[in-house]
Amino acid sequence: MPILSLQNISKRYGAIQALSGISFEVPKGAVFGILGPNGSGKTTLLGIVTDVLKADTGTFTLLDVPPTARQRQRIGTLLETPNFYHYLSAYQNLQVAASIKQQSGQDIPRVLDIAGLTARQHSRFKTYSLGMKQRLAIAAAMLGDPEVLILDEPTNGLDPAGIAEVRQLILQLAQTGKTIILASHLLDEVEKVCTHVAILQKGKLLLSGPVNQVLVREDFVELSCNDNTKLMSVISQHPAFDHIISSQEHLQVVFKQPVDPATLNAWCADQGLWLNHLYTRKQSLEKAFLQITNN
Amino acid sequence: MLHLIRTEWLKIKPYRAFWVMVGLAVAIIPAGNYIAAEITSQIVSKTKELIAVAPYDFPLIWQSIANVNSYMTALFAIPMIILVTNEFTYKTHRQNIIDGWERREFVMAKLFWWLALSVLAFLTTVITALVLGLAYGTHPLSFENFEYLFYYLLQVLLSLGIATLIAVLVRRSGLAIVLYLCYIMIVEQVLVLVLKRNFGEIGGLLPLQTGDELIPFPVIGKLLNNADHYDDGVYLLMLCLYIGLMIFLVFRRMLKTDY
Repeated sequence: MPILSLQNISKRYGAIQALSGISFEVPKGAVFGILGPNGSGKTTLLGIVTDVLKADTGTFTLLDVPPTARQRQRIGTLLETPNFYHYLSAYQNLQVAASIKQQSGQDIPRVLDIAGLTARQHSRFKTYSLGMKQRLAIAAAMLGDPEVLILDEPTNGLDPAGIAEVRQLILQLAQTGKTIILASHLLDEVEKVCTHVAILQKGKLLLSGPVNQVLVREDFVELSCNDNTKLMSVISQHPAFDHIISSQEHLQVVFKQPVDPATLNAWCADQGLWLNHLYTRKQSLEKAFLQITNN
Repeated sequence: MLHLIRTEWLKIKPYRAFWVMVGLAVAIIPAGNYIAAEITSQIVSKTKELIAVAPYDFPLIWQSIANVNSYMTALFAIPMIILVTNEFTYKTHRQNIIDGWERREFVMAKLFWWLALSVLAFLTTVITALVLGLAYGTHPLSFENFEYLFYYLLQVLLSLGIATLIAVLVRRSGLAIVLYLCYIMIVEQVLVLVLKRNFGEIGGLLPLQTGDELIPFPVIGKLLNNADHYDDGVYLLMLCLYIGLMIFLVFRRMLKTDY
């Protein structure tokens, strides 16, 4: 059963096409990253899923049935910015959220503890720092221990320790079988915590699927010898040679299949070239992402 | 509905500024009418032979107090505007939907305050009339003319309905209050005068004017009445239609728009 299934969702703001025919499915138990630069349509998409925005065309199902407010009560959502009553305390704000979700409020101390806000629970929201506001929003999303969480840029405004804590929390929640939909423009965030990813750019879905299939990062080998020009022509004769990424300082060579550095070194020696630099590396995540978005 | 009211109560119970505004509105009604009652009782006592009616005596007091208070509906409309626009300012209107309210439920929760504040204005007026009537009157308690207080309740409902519509349209408290006050104090008054001068009594059918036509000040109102004044039923029907229209437009806006 897909937790969320989008069919051909489109949304336009005046002259700007915010989303164009987006379709994908979020499987149960996945940590599903929606990845894309600022303005790519991530928040618009989640806004439609949470009924704060109306799609121009397309439909979606939530928990395998057409969406209703009662289903949203079973989903913990942090969308864009923490939205709370400034004159209420953290505890009172969570009481309001619990009441809307038709929960008793018994879970409030637990989520405040997870968010590290127990000591400040009776302070008014307007006195909170940006990081504390974000933590409160995460606490509100976790009220009632929902099976599905939608988190839009959950590490916004947090310090490095806070970012690490939130990522750890997401991983812990994922281990308990919860489905987490995580929108982010941070590549490493998605790579570190997500099992699946959908990549959006300018409102279009470029790719979606398991992270290791979508964000393929090809290995390459850095090589150097005394005559790199000759090395370049020799290495192109290697049976597994695919292409050269760069020839500045070192040759960066991609092979069709993994090559053993010792075997490669011996092969070069057989061709009369003695390597003074040999290093197997992985393509950076940024480059892999740019490759996808540029194509 | 009880669940909506409970949630609204959680939101508003600790909101001191709101309760101060409501407290002032409740206090100003008896205070304003006390001044009016004091002045009219002095006029009556000094001009006994010229003006034989006492506006703050039973049964005229119901009409007098409804008329005086119809100029003060903004006292309750301003806290109403602030309640609604706060949701937009804090973006909690979005969060309420995200957390699991239908858009319809969000509107109904706000309409609870629309009704509650209107009933509060009505009850405050009833109690004020009873106290002042017993204090200043020479006649025994009478509920003759009490229908004027129901007209007043309808006028408050309409005034707060207009305030709510402006609040959901402009979403900012300061601007919404200014536009609301401009409308009730200037725009409609000017339109009524222009229409009445050029097209006759049809000017009396503008929204808040329907209430004013139903609640003239005793004696003076009758002296000023035009011969082509419509039957009261026409104004009453229009007043009810305007209330329905305001609620319809508030729902329409909040159900269709992006949050």
